[in-house]
Amino acid sequence: MGIEFITLLIVLSLLALMALGVPLGVTTLTVSLGTALLYFGERAGFFIVAANVGEVLHKYELIAVPFFVFMANVLERSGIAKTLFDSMAIMGGRFRGSVGVQTCIVAVVLAAMSGIMGGEIVMLGLIALPQMLRLGYDKKLSIGIICAAGALATLIPPSVVLIIYGLAAQVSITKLFAASAGPGVLLAALYIGYILLRVRLNPSMAPIYDIPETGLPFMQRLKFMKGVILPAILIGSVLGVIYSGIATVTEAAAIGAVGAVVIAGIRKELSWRMLRDSMRQTVLTVGSIIWLVLGAVSLIGIYNRIGGGEFLRGVLTGLDVAPIVVIIVMMLIVMVLGTFLEWIAILFITVPIFAPVVVALGYDPVWFGVLFAMNIQIYYLSPPFGPACFFLKSVAPKEIELQDIFLAVLPFIGLQAVGLLLVLFIPDLALWLPSMLN
Amino acid sequence: QTLNIQTSFNAGDFSTQFLTDKWLPKIEEMTDGRIKIVLTPNGSVVPARETPEAVAAGVLDGDFTSVNYFAGLEPAYAIMGDLISGYDTPEQMLGFCKDGGGEAMMQKAADSVTGGEVHVVACGPYSKESLPARVPINTFEDLAGKKIRSPEGLAAAVFKAAGASPVSIPFSEVYGALEKGIVDAADASAYVNNSTSGLHDVAPYPLYPGIHSMPSMQFTINEETWEKISPEDQKALHDWWYDAMFAMAKETARLDKELAERDEAGGKIHVINWAQADRDKMRDVARKQWEEYAKKSPLAQEALDANLKYMTEIGLFKE
Amino acid sequence: MKNLLARYARWMDRISVFIGQGCSILFFACILISAAEVVLRYGFDRPSDWSTEMSMTLCASAWVLAVGYVTERNRHISITMLELVVGPKVWHWFRLFQMLISFGAVFVLTLALWKPAMKVLSRTEYSGTAFNSIQPTIFKTIIIVGCVIYLAQLLANIIRWCQKTEGDISVGH
Ligand code: NA
Ligand code: NA
Repeated sequence: MGIEFITLLIVLSLLALMALGVPLGVTTLTVSLGTALLYFGERAGFFIVAANVGEVLHKYELIAVPFFVFMANVLERSGIAKTLFDSMAIMGGRFRGSVGVQTCIVAVVLAAMSGIMGGEIVMLGLIALPQMLRLGYDKKLSIGIICAAGALATLIPPSVVLIIYGLAAQVSITKLFAASAGPGVLLAALYIGYILLRVRLNPSMAPIYDIPETGLPFMQRLKFMKGVILPAILIGSVLGVIYSGIATVTEAAAIGAVGAVVIAGIRKELSWRMLRDSMRQTVLTVGSIIWLVLGAVSLIGIYNRIGGGEFLRGVLTGLDVAPIVVIIVMMLIVMVLGTFLEWIAILFITVPIFAPVVVALGYDPVWFGVLFAMNIQIYYLSPPFGPACFFLKSVAPKEIELQDIFLAVLPFIGLQAVGLLLVLFIPDLALWLPSMLN
Repeated sequence: QTLNIQTSFNAGDFSTQFLTDKWLPKIEEMTDGRIKIVLTPNGSVVPARETPEAVAAGVLDGDFTSVNYFAGLEPAYAIMGDLISGYDTPEQMLGFCKDGGGEAMMQKAADSVTGGEVHVVACGPYSKESLPARVPINTFEDLAGKKIRSPEGLAAAVFKAAGASPVSIPFSEVYGALEKGIVDAADASAYVNNSTSGLHDVAPYPLYPGIHSMPSMQFTINEETWEKISPEDQKALHDWWYDAMFAMAKETARLDKELAERDEAGGKIHVINWAQADRDKMRDVARKQWEEYAKKSPLAQEALDANLKYMTEIGLFKE
Repeated sequence: MKNLLARYARWMDRISVFIGQGCSILFFACILISAAEVVLRYGFDRPSDWSTEMSMTLCASAWVLAVGYVTERNRHISITMLELVVGPKVWHWFRLFQMLISFGAVFVLTLALWKPAMKVLSRTEYSGTAFNSIQPTIFKTIIIVGCVIYLAQLLANIIRWCQKTEGDISVGH
C-alpha cells in the first residue's frame, strides 16, 4: 500500500469519525491505533501508541493551561470581568464597536504574557464572550474576535511555536521574536479594521451601551477607569515578572492565578465556594483538552514512521516553478495540514523539509519562520481541527455549538490570509525590526 | 536493506546535515548498496526516552542517540552518557568506547533494560558542549552562587558540589531564562549550535571549550535484524560509525573554534577559556560526585570503574 | 438485573465526580508550588530541584484522573453538525455509536498501555534528573487508571442510554 493511499485513508477516516460526532480525541486515537496495528502488528503497534500517548504527560508547556483557565474562572466568577467590561464600554462612550476593539487590544496585551495558545482563548471566552453578548454584540462577531485575537499568543512574543521553529530550523530565536512582533500587531490591526467596517455597515451588530454614563464628556468618563485598574495591575504584574526575569512564562501564569485570587479578596468577593467552583470548572476544561492532545500526538508518531514526511518532501521537490511559487505551495501545504493535524506535527513534518529549501532558494529563514507562525494562526481557527475553536467551545455558553464557532471564524481566517499575503510579498513588514537590531 | 534509525539530533541540526550529506551515502558504498540507513529526527517516531524499548519491539531498526535519556532506567547510563567534567576531548572518550571496553559496558546496560533484544554496535561522543553564560565565570571559584540550568542528575550534583545552584527548567524555557536572568548560565549544546540558535545574543560570556558536559551516544540495532546482517557488513557498520563520529568530532571542533574566534574578534561576545588549573579542580570535585552517583547500582559502579581505569591509562588521573 | 445496572450507573457517576472534583486539590497544589518556586528562587536565591517535576506530576495526574468527571458531564469535545441534518431520533443512535467507538478505542489503548505499566511496576523507572523522582513510573501507571475510569464511566453512560435515564447531553458527548 502506497503512502499516498494511506495518507488519503487517514484523512478520510478522520473526517468520517469527526462528522459522526465521535469525540475528537477518540477520533485521532482510533485512527492511530488502527494504522499502528495494521502497519506494525500487535507488539510494535501497541508500543508506538503507548510511548507517544505517555509522552504527552511530560509536556511541561501544557501546565500553563490550567493556570490560565483557573485565573480566568476566578476573574469571571468574582465579578472583576463584569466591572472591567462595563468600564471599557463606558470609556468607549458612544463610539460604535469600542468594546470589540478594546477586546482586541486586551488580547494583544495578554499575548505578550503567554507563549502558548489556549489559555488566552479560554480566558477571553470566559471573560469577554459573556460580557460582549450581554452588551448586545453580534454572537458571530464576538466569537470570531475572541478566537482570532486570542490566538495571537503564539505570534506575538514570547511564543512556543517560534521557539520550537527556531530549534528545528536552527534560526536565531531573538530574531524570530523581533520579526514576529510587527506581523502580530498587523493582524490585530486587520481585525480592528474589520470590526469597525462591519459595525458601520450593520450597526445592530454592536449596539451602543445605552446608559447615561456613556453620554458623558470624556473627562468625566475617566472616573469609571477604576474598573480597569485592578485587572491592569494583575496583567502588569504578570508581564512584569516575565520581562524583569523573576519568573518563566509558565511560573508567571501561576503567579497570575494567585494574583487573581488576591484581587478577588481585595474586592471582598473571595469565598471558598467561588474558589471551589472555579477549580471544578478548570478540571472539566483541562480534562477535555488533554484527550485531544493525546490522540493527535500518537497519530504524528505513526505517520512519521510510515514515511509521511518523506512523502511530502518528495511532492515538494518534484515541483518546477518560480521560487516564490514554491513558498506559496509550502504555505498551502501547511494550511491544508493545519485543518487536521496538531501544530507540533505540522512543524516536525514540514520545517525539516522546508527550511533547507527556503535557504537554498535565497530567502531568509527568519521571514519564513514568521510566515510559518502566521500560518499556524490559520491552523488554530480552520475547521475541522481548529484548536482555538475547541478551546472556546470548552468554555462557551451551552447554546453555542462548535459549528457556530466554525462559521464565526471564517471571515477572520480570510483576514489572517490577507496578513499572510502582505508579509509574503512585503518581507520588510517582518524583517525591519531584526535588521534594526543588527 | 533499509535501516530506520531514530537519532537524538533535531532535524535542522548541523549534525543531521553532516551525516545525511556526507556519511549516509558512504555506508551504501561500503556495503555495495546492501545497507541503506534512514535517520529520523529526535522524538519523531517515539519519545527520546523510549528508543531502547522501541528498538527491542522492532518499531525502530535502531537508534543513534544520547544515552543520557536512559539514566532514569539504569543509573549506569548517566555515567556512560555524560561523565560530567571527565574527559577533555571527544576523541579520548571515543577511544574508551572503541578500545577501552566501553562498547561491552554499553551492551550490559542495554541488556539490563531490554533483555537482550538490542545489539550495541558502537558508542561515543562527538562534541564537548560549551556553557553559555550571561555573566563572566572566569574561574572555578566564580561558580559559587551562580544559578545554572542543569536538569540532569549528575550535572546538577557536580555544579552543586562546585558551589553553584542548579536550576531545573525545561529546554524550551532556556532562551527566555537566560535573556531575563532567571539563570546565569545554562547547559545547552555545542558552541556552533548555541551560536546559530542565538543563545549568545542573550548569554554573551560562553565558556568555551566547555567545562562540564560531553554527551555520549550509542548506535544500536535490533538484535534479530543484526543477526541477519553478514559479518562483513556488520564490521562495515561498526567502522562506518566510528569514522563518521571522528569526522564529526573534528568538524564540530573546527566550526566551534572558527566561530569562537570570530565572536571574540567581534567584541560583542566574550569567550571565556578556563585555565588548566581550574579545569583540574573541577574534575577533582566532579570525581567525588561520580563516585557518589555510582553507588546507585552495581552496573553504574562497573561503568565508573571502567572509565576511571581508562582515564588513568591515558593520563587524566595519576595512579 | 436492570436495577443492578442502574445502581452501577448511579455509583459510577458518584465515583467519577468525587475523583474529578478531588483533582481540584492537585491543581491547587500545582499552582502553589509553581508560585512558591518563584519566591524561593528570586526572594531567597534558593532554587529547588523538585518544583518543575512535582508540579508536572500533580498536573498530569489531575488531568488524567479527571476523565471520569469529564465523561460523566459529557464534556469531551466533538463536532455535532450532523445532528441538525439527521434529526434527534437518528442522532440518538449516533450517540450510541459514539460511545461504543470510544469504548473500543480506549479499551485497545488500555491494552497497549498495559505492558509498559507492568514493566515499570516490576522495575521502577526514574526521571534521571537532579530530583530523580519516580515520575515516569507514576505516569505510566496513572494513565492506565485514567483509562479504566474512562471505560467504567462510558459503561455507565451506555447503561443510561439503554435505560433512557440520560441527564443533560446538550453539550455534546
Ligand atoms: Na505570546
Ligand atoms: Na485547523
